[in-house]
Amino acid sequence: MNHDAQLKLQAYRDGELPAAEAAEVQSWLARDAEARSLLAELEHTAKALSGNEAELKLPESREFFWSKIEREIQRLEQPATRDPAREISWTAWVRQQFAPLAGLASLAIVLGLLIAHPGGRSSVADSGVIDLALASDDMGAHTFRDQDQRITVVWLDDRTQDSEFTTPEPFASVQPE
Amino acid sequence: MKTVKDHSSASDEELVQGAKKGDTGAFEELVARHRDKIYARAFSMMRNEDEATDLSQEAWVKSWQRLKQFQGESSFGTWMTRIVINLCLDHLRRRKRQRTESIEEMDEESGGVERQMPVVTANPTERLERAELRKRIDEALNLLSHEHRTVLVLHEFEEMEYKEIARTMECSIGTVMSRLFYARRKMAALLANLKSEELR
Repeated sequence: MNHDAQLKLQAYRDGELPAAEAAEVQSWLARDAEARSLLAELEHTAKALSGNEAELKLPESREFFWSKIEREIQRLEQPATRDPAREISWTAWVRQQFAPLAGLASLAIVLGLLIAHPGGRSSVADSGVIDLALASDDMGAHTFRDQDQRITVVWLDDRTQDSEFTTPEPFASVQPE
Repeated sequence: MKTVKDHSSASDEELVQGAKKGDTGAFEELVARHRDKIYARAFSMMRNEDEATDLSQEAWVKSWQRLKQFQGESSFGTWMTRIVINLCLDHLRRRKRQRTESIEEMDEESGGVERQMPVVTANPTERLERAELRKRIDEALNLLSHEHRTVLVLHEFEEMEYKEIARTMECSIGTVMSRLFYARRKMAALLANLKSEELR
């Protein structure tokens, strides 16, 4: 008996066949002993299982089990409270991650501009300290350009730590032109 | 003074209505009434006490959250059972993704050994006491793969049709039929073996 025939027999047993196909299976059963014995086995198994599932009890007391459910329900139904400590640490993390990146991006822009216009007139002074606007308020940048020496010096400073930096510390670098 | 309402005489429908209005006492009574059945269903699928307890607890919490969606198309017990079945299936799927395919599953795909097994002619469960029969069925279920066990549980215990099982298990009707066939054949062989071992 092939697998499709076996499955058809099972579907017949489970009442899942349309009437026409069920009639076909009945006439097949009438002339095939192997099909009848397989059907009998399927019947025995199905009947043995029906209504004979092991009766199990939850291994926890009513009170204890309910207390866990109730606690979870209460936890889920609490309005989302703001945790200032968590927020501070989150913003600190963002600052820590992105402030150096913002500084480096600004540095790259400044250097790019200076390289792109090495001899041309710039809106900045030919020599002196210039403040630059940065994408991050947490970083400050200053450049010093000396046309005679043909160098540009860029300082970056961390404004989140004002108490530690009273004057800008050179963070990067001398760029010869 | 806060009064504690006695819910023990209320029907499930009344308790559901109360719980929908936020009465946790009514919900607690529903939990008390159905908790063993829900646990038993979770255990029949997971075969592990701790997992079954955790998943049945999760099912209760989920049902509280979704209570407004319950419109009474089926009984509350049936609705709850569907929730715990879906949670167990999700859990089993996650677990399956984390491990390689078992030999049993490979057997299933290639046709398995069950197809060639000789038919068990005598009824192996004949004349057994009900408690003994239940114990044997439980032991035999333990020896099936979770795919075979689940399809058997859904068809024989939950009385689901092929189509509904396919939807629940997210597979084709053909797969359901195939799994059910193998599961029944294995079950017949296991029950027969358990009987012959006892006679020895």
